[in-house]
Amino acid sequence: MKDTPLSNCERDFLLQAIEEKKRLDGRQTYDYRKIKITFGTDYGCCFVDLGKTRVMAQVSCELIAPKENRPNEGIMFFNIELSPMASPAFEQGRQSELSVKLNRQLERCLRNSKCIDTESLCVVSGEKVWQIRVDVHMLNHDGNLMDAASIAAITALCHFRRPDVGIQGDEVTVYSPEEREPIPLSIYHMPISVSFSFFQQGTYLLVDPCEREERVMDGLLMIAMNKHREICSIQSSGGIMLLKDQVMRCSKIASVKVSEITELVGKALENDKKVRKAGGRCGFAESLPQERITALKMDKTPVEMMDVTERANDIVQKAGVPPQTYPELSLNNSCMNHENVSLALYPPLMLCHTVSTVAP
Amino acid sequence: MRGKQMTSSPRDEPLFHGGGVMEACDSSRVSLREFGCEQNLLSRPDGSASFIHGDTSVYAGVYGPAEVKVSKEIYDRATLEVLIQPKVGLPSVRERSQEQCVRETCEASLLLSLHPRSSLTLILQVLHDDGSLLSCFLNAACMALMDAGLPMSCLFCGVTCAIDADGQIITDPTAAQEKESRALMTFAIDSTQRNVLMSSTKGSFSVNELQQCIAVSQTASEKIFQFYRDSVQRRYSKTL
Amino acid sequence: MAAGFKTVEPLEYHRSFLKENCRPDGRELSEFRTTTLNIGSISTANGSALVKFGNTTVMCGIKAELANPTVETPGKGYIVPNVDLPPLCSSRFRPGPPGEQAQAASQFIADVIESSGVIQTEDLCIDRGKLCWVLYCDMMCLDYDGNLLDACIVALLAALKNTRLPEVTFNTETSAPEVNSEKRQGLCIRKHPVATSFCIFDDSILIVDPTAEEESLATAQLTVVTDEEDRLCSVHKPGGTSMSGQKLQECISRATARQREIQKLIDKVAHSVKMEQ
Repeated sequence: MKDTPLSNCERDFLLQAIEEKKRLDGRQTYDYRKIKITFGTDYGCCFVDLGKTRVMAQVSCELIAPKENRPNEGIMFFNIELSPMASPAFEQGRQSELSVKLNRQLERCLRNSKCIDTESLCVVSGEKVWQIRVDVHMLNHDGNLMDAASIAAITALCHFRRPDVGIQGDEVTVYSPEEREPIPLSIYHMPISVSFSFFQQGTYLLVDPCEREERVMDGLLMIAMNKHREICSIQSSGGIMLLKDQVMRCSKIASVKVSEITELVGKALENDKKVRKAGGRCGFAESLPQERITALKMDKTPVEMMDVTERANDIVQKAGVPPQTYPELSLNNSCMNHENVSLALYPPLMLCHTVSTVAP
Repeated sequence: MRGKQMTSSPRDEPLFHGGGVMEACDSSRVSLREFGCEQNLLSRPDGSASFIHGDTSVYAGVYGPAEVKVSKEIYDRATLEVLIQPKVGLPSVRERSQEQCVRETCEASLLLSLHPRSSLTLILQVLHDDGSLLSCFLNAACMALMDAGLPMSCLFCGVTCAIDADGQIITDPTAAQEKESRALMTFAIDSTQRNVLMSSTKGSFSVNELQQCIAVSQTASEKIFQFYRDSVQRRYSKTL
Repeated sequence: MAAGFKTVEPLEYHRSFLKENCRPDGRELSEFRTTTLNIGSISTANGSALVKFGNTTVMCGIKAELANPTVETPGKGYIVPNVDLPPLCSSRFRPGPPGEQAQAASQFIADVIESSGVIQTEDLCIDRGKLCWVLYCDMMCLDYDGNLLDACIVALLAALKNTRLPEVTFNTETSAPEVNSEKRQGLCIRKHPVATSFCIFDDSILIVDPTAEEESLATAQLTVVTDEEDRLCSVHKPGGTSMSGQKLQECISRATARQREIQKLIDKVAHSVKMEQ
């Protein structure tokens, strides 16, 4: 399905608004939309709402053989799914330009920055290592998917616990969470991507563009940075030339944004830890907003079993017993060939069956 | 897929939902877990809903009626496409067969002939699987179709029943109960005659057990339809 | 005249027959097409069978291979069914990766194998944790004229009955399997599941063993799988118009009767194959 095209007057309106330093949702130039971080029932499941953009990340692990040239290192695997739920323009199972771009940027942001200690993921050198897989699903696309995906992925990685393993001789046992407490990953730092969109050949700049703004932008600059102000990746796309000053300014803005977001992620993780420790429920049922008029919850309800057995018996008995007698099958040996045998079952007349053989 | 990939569960709640104490009486097993729904929670799709059965949770989004690809065009009705997105990895053969079940159920209740030569897309995203996933798909799908305001001849809901080793019927089983069970059946029930729209079963069972499960599902469907009614009433309470 | 009517108004054409309680091909509503079974058609496979339901033709070949059991289930072998719908069998299928119908059929067959327990996967284990059999069951449709699932299940069951595996021992010293091709043994078939498919026309008329045309015009499809002990292994109704419990019960009764016939047929053919050898 095709996305609705942007009309010319809409485009002009957006650009004019940007020139007048106004944004559709009333934000200032450097403002992020509201970020909300929630967790799922599983460890390693994280939802990020960035305004109306919604993203889910799920981390999972699997024991596999390591790469030959790196026998002592675990493997990180990232996959961004542009689910057609997020936007009608996304197609299932097709590698679009956007999905390649986002996947590459996430890999650069989280794998190439060496923020995760992959050596601690080795179980038996050269034989068994953990593969950590991060699946990021886009649920609603309202611009700036990359930032939402990077926050969701790193938060999910921080939240994730892998099962403990024991090694006796060459036997590797994986302990269930009931037997041994699962282990968190060791993460050195948290790179977070911040996107800047440029308009009118770089004259105007906006942080955290929404979907409408992304449609009229000329270029995009993505900076991945950690709270120590170390740049992990920087990428400019859309074929726009930027001055050194512009890049420097963006990196300064990014450092402020990153420290804010890191603090938010830390708080969310801390909060979740407390809730889980207190034994509180942390499933999706709890995340359902009660006050909204569009949401409704119903408590556990018993189902009446009163007349179920009678009703069932009634139906079975009424249907009657199927006829159990069939005429004997007759086999005519003379028409069999020597290699294989064919037999035919002629159509029965209303459950009365006559069977005979056919010549092959 | 699920056997190999491991997502560790934070709570050690091996058997029963809500406390881990096995109760002997029937009423605890023949019950529906708490369930909830939120409609219109995503801005992009024309209709969206999340549906929750206990810990099982699903998002559904509907796009359409919209332009259809020429290769998929049907001259006298709309083309319905159902896509199921698993939480980890890519959709496999199992998802394809679930997609078929959900699609044909929706096709039976939607009045597709009112939108000839157009496309409807229903996307279902698994958020957490703790048993009764297929029935959760069906319920989420129905709520999303309602939210999208598509014309339907009837509503439908999904109910999953399991038969445990002792031959007891469990409704709305958790993942652990599903694993322990001898047979598992999911039915889609329509709202007009309470008949069976869809049936998908696993394991072997007797005719009597099947009929009992259908009867139980029909009774349980009353609760779900009442829930549908309540949530629609709540939603339009301010405009009425 | 009739041919024109059929092309222009296919649904009306079928309705006019159904009104008189018969079908365009001369069958009554509850009548099956002629079922032909041929066992051991492929000499290179470990087991094979060819089934015809009227025009619908399905060939099943079983290839057994030695493999290592998975870590999770060291005492079990595995069965990998696959249904192939090549463009050869009908113009409705395109070349390329399997379509939804083929994938759904493969999943259905896998579910039936598991649910019915036709073969215990423990029987396929040769040496616990070291060696087991994998049975690749490939069902290829050669001519598609409806009722694919029934034909696949019959072909699969007959092919499994026909399968002979060589005796294999696991040599612990060399850690290598030793195959004795002289000594061959059949598989232990524990159940005989048989599928029966139905179509519902105009929300009310029930017909069995539908042809491809009937399938495309029907408002709902239903497949019931039963075994010899009258236990149900699958009641698969992927959607379509709704059905009451009573109507479902009717279908189950018919499916039970059909199971008896097919099992007799398979036994008879398998027996005569044995006599030949």
